[in-house]
Amino acid sequence: MRAALLALLALLVQATTALAGEPLAFERGSWARIAAAHRGQAIVVHLWGLTCTPCLAELPKWSKLENERPDLRLVMIAADPVPQADTQVAATLDRAGLGAVESWSFADRFVERLRYEIDPAWSGELPRTLLISRDGTRTVLKGVADLAQVRAWLDGQKRMD
Amino acid sequence: MRTLLLSVLALFTGAAIATAHDGHEHMHGMNGKAPDAFTATPAFAPDGTLWLARGTADRVLVSHSSDLGKTFSTPVSVTPGPVSMDWGPDSRPQILIDRQGRLVVTYALFQDEKFNGRVYVTHSDDGGKSFAPSLPITPDATSQRFQSAAIDSDGRVFAAWLDKRNRRTVPTASLAYAWSDSSDAPFGATHIAADNTCECCRLGLAFAGPGRPAILFRNVFPGSVRDHAVVTLDNATAPGKLRRVSVDDWKIEACPHQGPSLAIAADGSYHAAWFTEGSRRQGLFYARAANGEVAFGEPRALSAPDKQPSRPYLLAVGDTIHLVWKEFDGAKSVVRWQMSRDDGRSWTAARTVAKTADASDHPLLVAHGDQAFLSWLTKSEGYRLIALGAER
Repeated sequence: MRAALLALLALLVQATTALAGEPLAFERGSWARIAAAHRGQAIVVHLWGLTCTPCLAELPKWSKLENERPDLRLVMIAADPVPQADTQVAATLDRAGLGAVESWSFADRFVERLRYEIDPAWSGELPRTLLISRDGTRTVLKGVADLAQVRAWLDGQKRMD
Repeated sequence: MRTLLLSVLALFTGAAIATAHDGHEHMHGMNGKAPDAFTATPAFAPDGTLWLARGTADRVLVSHSSDLGKTFSTPVSVTPGPVSMDWGPDSRPQILIDRQGRLVVTYALFQDEKFNGRVYVTHSDDGGKSFAPSLPITPDATSQRFQSAAIDSDGRVFAAWLDKRNRRTVPTASLAYAWSDSSDAPFGATHIAADNTCECCRLGLAFAGPGRPAILFRNVFPGSVRDHAVVTLDNATAPGKLRRVSVDDWKIEACPHQGPSLAIAADGSYHAAWFTEGSRRQGLFYARAANGEVAFGEPRALSAPDKQPSRPYLLAVGDTIHLVWKEFDGAKSVVRWQMSRDDGRSWTAARTVAKTADASDHPLLVAHGDQAFLSWLTKSEGYRLIALGAER
């Protein structure tokens, strides 16, 4: 009886931890955590969404860039106006070849607050890409990103070494 | 053993529910579950009863209040079982009440995971105690979403929605509409008023007269420019010319999930409010046209683009036009309100009429007699009905 209970609990724990590859919950304060974790690094933050068709079409291009540029430190944030199921976010990134990339997903319905923390001037349009250099300087690419511009920016970051 | 297993499971499920309801609504434990709808749409009955249609994850719940929203009746589900609600940010069930007190409820469901929807209609003849079996608004099963319905002064029910029946030739959506002769009659033939509209933005709807609805919508102009246009029906089945509200030049391949609002004042003037991120202007705007024929005037900015201004709503009540929208001040979402007593030529300074520090539905306007109210569902405060301009 006791053994059965323990086995059941073990199963439940397993079920909740066997979700590797799923996005981290992007909540109030998450942006500050991301910024702190990447302090001093040049990062590319790509804001996308399951409910955004051009975003889905763009994902494989990011995967290609990610393969081609080891200097690309990519952070994906699913910023749907209504929080989406983690499993679907993970499966979509996985299909696009982005399963191993740092990934977050809006997990709070108070999207105005989440957007404000990322960029006060952002009304939620997707896709959107933030190129953040080591000193924190930002370049915002609205809409589908011109990856030539991202490559040139990455080259520029290297030159600053 | 079995009881023990069950109680452990109950414990686990209980914990999962508690997590889902704490302040930040973590998605853990909600894997695979559809996102929730979170809407409340109001309507007043002729006797002053406030009716509310709530959109939740899997139900449309109808309740009423005889004390202006302070207390509500036990909600009644319009469907016998759970449904797959369209949770699009601009989607909501609607409730209408005719002069006899009969209720009409319209709502959209998702048919699949590709956001194909189906709009249903039901009615209640017994004061919301029960609802007739829901019927699709149109026989075509391709996709309908973002229905907007209203009853004209002759008692006919008009509904417009975004429809994908022409998907082979129209890459986006079409603006469709239909009429029903009365609250308890099925909708008649579907007509298409415009092809190539944006796919996920709500419609603005107002009447220029009986049998003459006007619809404001985000159109797709050549070059994937998603600016607004209004179309007024010349008669019940003849859409007039498309009138562009403004040239914002918002070239975008995506749908912004942000639809407009339309009011027509007693003098026949048209009033439009909308969101854009165009190359010509960005943010939330208002424009006025003196009647159904002439061009709209220069757009007026309602807010600053760095306040995330969104979700405008216009309502003409007697000799007054009310306008509300939502902004974010860095900590709270606030509802701003302006009114005009001269058919939109001049407006009062914007004032904050409600605030919340968590998630919220779009602010809506509803009127009983000459009194306009803000109707707003927020996660922290619940449902609120706030009288506007009561001090005047």
